[in-house]
Amino acid sequence: MISENRVSVELKGLRKVYGTAVALDNFSLDIAPGELVALLGPSGCGKTTALRILAGLDTDHEGQIIINGKDIASIPANKRNMGMVFQAYSLFPTMTVLENVAYGLRVRKVDREKRNKKAQELLDLVGLGEMGARLGHQLSGGQQQRVALARALAIQPNVLLLDEPLSALDAQVRTQLRDEIKRIQIEVGTTTLFVTHDQEEAMAIADRVGVMRHGVLEQCAPPQEVYLNPATVKVAKFVGAMNLMPVEILSSSSVSIYGQSVALREGGNVAGTMALVRPEQLSLALAKTQGRASATVFNLTFLGPLTRISVRMTGDARTLFVSMPSSAALEFVAGSLVDVRVLATSVLLDA
Amino acid sequence: MSLTTTKRAGSLKTGVGPLHFANKGNSYKSALPLLPFFAFIAYFLVFPLTFIVRDAFLDNDGKFTFENFAECFKGVYGHSFFVSIQLSFISAAIGAVVGALIASAIVKTGSRFRKATAASASVLANTGGVPLAFMFLAGFGTEGLVTRALKFLGWNIYGGTFTLFSSAGIILVYSFFQIPLMVLIFSPALENVRPEWREASDSLGGTRLTYFRRVMVPLLFPAFISTALLLFANSFSAYATARAMTAGTLPLMPLLIGNLVDGNVIANQQHLGQAMAVCMIGVSIIVMSIYVLVLRFSKVKR
Amino acid sequence: MKQKLNLSNRIVLLAGGAFFIFPMLAAFEFSLRTNESKSYGFDNFRWIFEQDGFKSNLSVSFRLALVTAICVLVLMVPTVVYLHLGGARWKRLVEFICLVPLVVPVISFALGVGTAFPIFLQSTVYELSFLYVIVSLPYTYRALDVGLSSIPLLTLVEASRASGASMRQTLMYVIIPTIRTAVNGAIFLAIALSLGEFTLAVLLHWDTFPTWIANVSQGHVLNAIALSVLSLFGAWVVVMIFALAPKSLRSNKIQEATK
Repeated sequence: MISENRVSVELKGLRKVYGTAVALDNFSLDIAPGELVALLGPSGCGKTTALRILAGLDTDHEGQIIINGKDIASIPANKRNMGMVFQAYSLFPTMTVLENVAYGLRVRKVDREKRNKKAQELLDLVGLGEMGARLGHQLSGGQQQRVALARALAIQPNVLLLDEPLSALDAQVRTQLRDEIKRIQIEVGTTTLFVTHDQEEAMAIADRVGVMRHGVLEQCAPPQEVYLNPATVKVAKFVGAMNLMPVEILSSSSVSIYGQSVALREGGNVAGTMALVRPEQLSLALAKTQGRASATVFNLTFLGPLTRISVRMTGDARTLFVSMPSSAALEFVAGSLVDVRVLATSVLLDA
Repeated sequence: MSLTTTKRAGSLKTGVGPLHFANKGNSYKSALPLLPFFAFIAYFLVFPLTFIVRDAFLDNDGKFTFENFAECFKGVYGHSFFVSIQLSFISAAIGAVVGALIASAIVKTGSRFRKATAASASVLANTGGVPLAFMFLAGFGTEGLVTRALKFLGWNIYGGTFTLFSSAGIILVYSFFQIPLMVLIFSPALENVRPEWREASDSLGGTRLTYFRRVMVPLLFPAFISTALLLFANSFSAYATARAMTAGTLPLMPLLIGNLVDGNVIANQQHLGQAMAVCMIGVSIIVMSIYVLVLRFSKVKR
Repeated sequence: MKQKLNLSNRIVLLAGGAFFIFPMLAAFEFSLRTNESKSYGFDNFRWIFEQDGFKSNLSVSFRLALVTAICVLVLMVPTVVYLHLGGARWKRLVEFICLVPLVVPVISFALGVGTAFPIFLQSTVYELSFLYVIVSLPYTYRALDVGLSSIPLLTLVEASRASGASMRQTLMYVIIPTIRTAVNGAIFLAIALSLGEFTLAVLLHWDTFPTWIANVSQGHVLNAIALSVLSLFGAWVVVMIFALAPKSLRSNKIQEATK
């Protein structure tokens, strides 16, 4: 089942304008053969535009699309051999599930027996081997998306393109199918571009996550790195939660946050006066001397394995969020006087 | 792409809806696939229409003249405007009211009956010409079955001035296709009325009358008026049935035009017929402009 | 949403039904009368089938209907599909054009055609088919427009194109089957119009089934009534076939795929 053609993708300097709105600006991205890259960003950030340009569904853009060293920008969508899965409602309503999956082979004039055999294999792969004779609308939303995935893979695509394939589904099905897509992608080894607005989804599924804002690719790196070392303030603020904490500049490479000195990382706002610190990069301890406590706990939110604690700083009445294992959070109650410590070794600055 | 799931997601994404194709090159290039359609329209619709308008302004020697149009408003021709418009107006009014009544009774029936009536209505709305005329002769003629039955019950429909070949008779015959046409076009609008609205109105203390006045009328009025105007145009331009029924006794515009151009008259009147035809288009344009205006100002989007 | 029919609804339906059924019954009764009065028979119907014009004119009308249907399919389906995809900016213009035939009385149109068309085109009866396409435009356009509006067309087209299908394959395999009901409706309207149209045919001096009926009716009253009954009944049969066909076709397809 492993695809013979593992291809590399290079997108170079893509730019796309709708009327006066710039949907995509100087967008460059390399995808290694067999890699799964997720483009992550809010609605309208240009991530879908990038995917559609790669698919050939959006034309009239600037820049190059290079597959295995060949520029395919002038090739129409139906000759690009891209497998695409849409958000929803993309199954052909008059065809059975099997006919849907076999469709790409049918238009390639593969004879019926051969294409049905291949389609059946793929239905087995996505766990719907028994459903071939049904019509699309007789399946659940999650099953329909599995069929769409099988249909996209049936043509042994150069690149698998997934355009928010899970966002129309219920939360539970979404997680389950997400893991399944990852499993299948590893199994067939097709180079994949996955577009989503859901951070958790992107982090869970991708080899690398590309974070986009306003048509620009801010950072593309493995999930851990995007989360722990965001390259820009925008990435830091979009991915996960962030506390804004006032700083005193000590030198060009270090700052002081509430009296603790912390190293400064590049990529932030140089003129900034606030440090970005994640809730889990803060720790709390009950104050030893009551009079000199730095903060007061005013709310605890139990989130299962983690508890999020809101504290108010004594000095400037600023609210910070601290997250810690629920077991560790047991010693605090609303009203506890606490000292706040910064665990982060380096921070980004923002205005 | 939004967080909330939206139906028909395909066309909602980041401005890449149907328009994204249209960004291709300049705007006229996007009309290229429509070329066959436009060519067909130009040749089979625009071309004949320009010819008839041009010829309406020519005399027999091919010179420009207004004489044909002056002639249009004189004598029997001028009278035919009045007769045609009046007849079509009454026929449309009867068809619209009766059709709406029948449609509102039909939507309350089961889906099978609704389907059967819809199919029947589409047949009946298309009847016309000789078959329709003879059906009414058989039913409502002086020796017709219905006439005799009514006479037996004590109502002689021929007691007064009624004949099938008068305006009243024609209106009766036209009802046979006008009412089904109304049912056919008006039913979808009625089916859009949700029972919940009635329940909502009831629960808010509305009476049957307030529901009808405050909900139904504003909701259905545009559809009702626009369909009624369609019925007007339908009877206004009806030729086959009128010809089969009246044998030229009633001065209706289509009949006069038909007589003028269909051979047995002196050549001069060819152009008069064309001028009359242009006048008919003029009347229709006025009526259909009302149709368009009603649609535009209807508050309910479809 | 079956609701309770109250008395006034019942009266409306009964009275309405009577208005339509009695003339048909009356016509049927007349059509069975024979010339030796007081007895009934199928003489009038038999007479129709013995006429030379019957078969030939009916066949002309059916061929006209067929050509009209093909023209609608080939011309209108791709056009309206394109308006729902890339040609959206032209939609209002085309919509407007498609309303024009409602404004132009057929008799006016017929006059224009008579003077405008060159001889070569007027030398074939199939010119009527092209004109029927025009006259049926308001209805065929609307049927197709409604059908296409009710499906996620863009997603289906993109899914098909990404699968490697050409636009023609997409049209044939995906779009037309998906809007089959609307396409059937449009074609049915065009066929019904072609089979019954009288004004254009008579003014352009062609012999079709409706003009033949009009000719026969002069002097053969009972036979003409029999013909009327026959043509109405025929139209009914055609409608029923069309109303039932799509469903049965689809269920066959599913059964076939399940094998």
